[in-house]
Amino acid sequence: MSEEIVEHGDKERMIRGFGAMVLARTLNNKIMTAQRQGRVGFFTPTSGQEAAQIGLSMHLRKEDIIYQYYRDMPMMLHMGVPVDIIINQIYGNSMDIAKGRQMPSHLLARDYNFMSVPSPVATNLPLAVGTAYANRYLKKDGIVVASFGDGSSSTPDFHAAMNLAAVYNLPVIFFCENNGLAISLPTEKQTKVEIWKKAEAYGMPGILVNGSDMVDTYEKTREMVEYVRSGKGPVLIEARCPRMGPHSTSDDPTKYLTDIVKEGSDRDPLIISQKRLVEMGVITEQIASKIREDSQNFITSKFDELEKIPPPSPETLFEDVYEEPTWIIDEERGEIIGRN
Amino acid sequence: MVQSLNRTLDMKMGEDSNIILLGEDIGKDGGVFRVTEGLQAKYGEDRVIDTPLVELGIVGMAIGMSMNGLKPIPEIQFQDFIFTAFDQIVNQMAKMRYRSGGTITVPLVLRTPYGGGIRGGLYHSQSGESYFVHTSGLKVVTPSNPYDAKGLLSSSLDSKDPVIFLEPKRLYRSGKMEVPDEDYRIPLGKAKLLHEGDSVSIITYGSMVPAVLKTVTDNSLDADVLDLRTLSPMDRDSIIASARKTGRVVIVHEAPRTLGMGAEISALISESSIEYLYAPILRVTGPDVPFPYRLEDLYLPNSSRILSAVNRVLQFR
Ligand SMILES: Cc1ncc(C[n+]2csc(CCOP(=O)(O)OP(=O)(O)O)c2C)c(N)n1
Ligand SMILES: [Mg+2]
Repeated sequence: MSEEIVEHGDKERMIRGFGAMVLARTLNNKIMTAQRQGRVGFFTPTSGQEAAQIGLSMHLRKEDIIYQYYRDMPMMLHMGVPVDIIINQIYGNSMDIAKGRQMPSHLLARDYNFMSVPSPVATNLPLAVGTAYANRYLKKDGIVVASFGDGSSSTPDFHAAMNLAAVYNLPVIFFCENNGLAISLPTEKQTKVEIWKKAEAYGMPGILVNGSDMVDTYEKTREMVEYVRSGKGPVLIEARCPRMGPHSTSDDPTKYLTDIVKEGSDRDPLIISQKRLVEMGVITEQIASKIREDSQNFITSKFDELEKIPPPSPETLFEDVYEEPTWIIDEERGEIIGRN
Repeated sequence: MVQSLNRTLDMKMGEDSNIILLGEDIGKDGGVFRVTEGLQAKYGEDRVIDTPLVELGIVGMAIGMSMNGLKPIPEIQFQDFIFTAFDQIVNQMAKMRYRSGGTITVPLVLRTPYGGGIRGGLYHSQSGESYFVHTSGLKVVTPSNPYDAKGLLSSSLDSKDPVIFLEPKRLYRSGKMEVPDEDYRIPLGKAKLLHEGDSVSIITYGSMVPAVLKTVTDNSLDADVLDLRTLSPMDRDSIIASARKTGRVVIVHEAPRTLGMGAEISALISESSIEYLYAPILRVTGPDVPFPYRLEDLYLPNSSRILSAVNRVLQFR
């Protein structure tokens, strides 16, 4: 299978996928360091989930619409969302699309078909179903991807969305990034049934993939993506991809997590995926090192450069609640920042 | 009002193929109050969707539809059952424009019957308007007659912001009036002065409007009767103008008193116009108890309670 991929001209795609994994890890590490230095307020690390996300998004197209969750920065980078959009959101500066209104990690890039991330988990799933309905009704190309964590599979929104997507046979990929934990709660205390198996109860196919291996995820999800694209209905993909760090920068995982996957170890998806690609002859160790080095330089300079951008102006607090501000908001703006 | 709403939906669906209705029993059955009667037969199952029994799914799907080019009109069968969808309304619908810096909008009209008067007990009678009015990002509208129902629904469908369209179920089959066939609008955010007088202002909306009007005419009260029509944003100018003219204000609504619309209207008037007032602002409302079954008539504000509040402010010195 792997040789087949290379022959079919997927080599470029593999290199780009790996490049995005490295870029995402580099940016993740940079943000985590910056947070400790007090330069960034908050972050939900994405390390450990790069291979799962990119293994899937290697099948996606520009017209596909993604309802990502707060750990999907790697997928966004892979789908071509500029690093600037992400870093500006992390800083919450005046160049941020959302005008610094959301905590870091709540990314958005409408022009790249990445919808806005809310904090209440899984509330994006029913929206993805509605968007898929609109896609089909309006005869638009493209499928919809809704991603979420293992903990989110316990929510009523997950149930509602899975059921509705199946009832209407809609083009939705439910993508569960099972990192083994919901903050501190291990998946086996979250649910009694493996998540991918729940698909059957709703009437859709479900599969489990090794989300630590980009090539494996890519190969195993191909058929699922084709199934959805051909209009057969929704699918559920569960990717196992152990969390490599704390839940967020506000979390101390030592209380509940003993067996943590260490960066650079042989369980790190970057290392696993790199080994696979070297074995397949897609890249060499030297190319991999070069990619890492380039990413490091690129991210460091971008991160420092964008830090200089000022915060959003006070007026932005009062914008975008409605198309036109109401008299109440106008009055409150006047009280707080004065009239212009 | 049912007929007016039904015809308006029909007209709008005929004009705009992107309008989609979704909700429980709205298709074949035509809705439990018959507001969507005949529309599925005319426009098909793709446009008038009988959904599974899942309010958060109905609302969540509608949000996702509107984010992708459609104009959905979800129906929640009774406002009492909206609470599992409350998260979707407050955290997704209401905040999408803000949290996307204006790059994603959610133009939709969520219709739901509310209020008492049908012997519906605790769970088919609630007036939850305050929950929605309290949430920035939503517009909240409630018509009190068939003519307004059409004009307000049409304006709601023009809105680029999500609208919670509360239908006073008690008035669904009362108040027959001529509703023109042609297209017209009643602007959101504009109240209507239904009766003019100089001695007292009675501010009300939705299901209480007929009772207030009847009290005023039966007792020949020299009263302004202001029908808010839009609860968010309220028509500040009309409220203030009437309050300053009469200097005596009574607010009437069916919802419980605590943190009801009356509290907000009263605060607005006292903040802006206290020097014009001759008497305290009084509220005539449903009591702060759950909505009852057998004692419904005792719960609902009636003429004698309205009249006694009016007399109190008129006689205040
Ligand atoms: C509805 C809701 N409840 C609680 C929280 C607080 N919270 C944030 S993330 C999280 C755990 C989510 O776990 P999972 O779905 O597995 O995603 P992961 O963070 O592991 O990627 C919790 C409880 C929330 N954001 N939303
Ligand atoms: Mg998890």
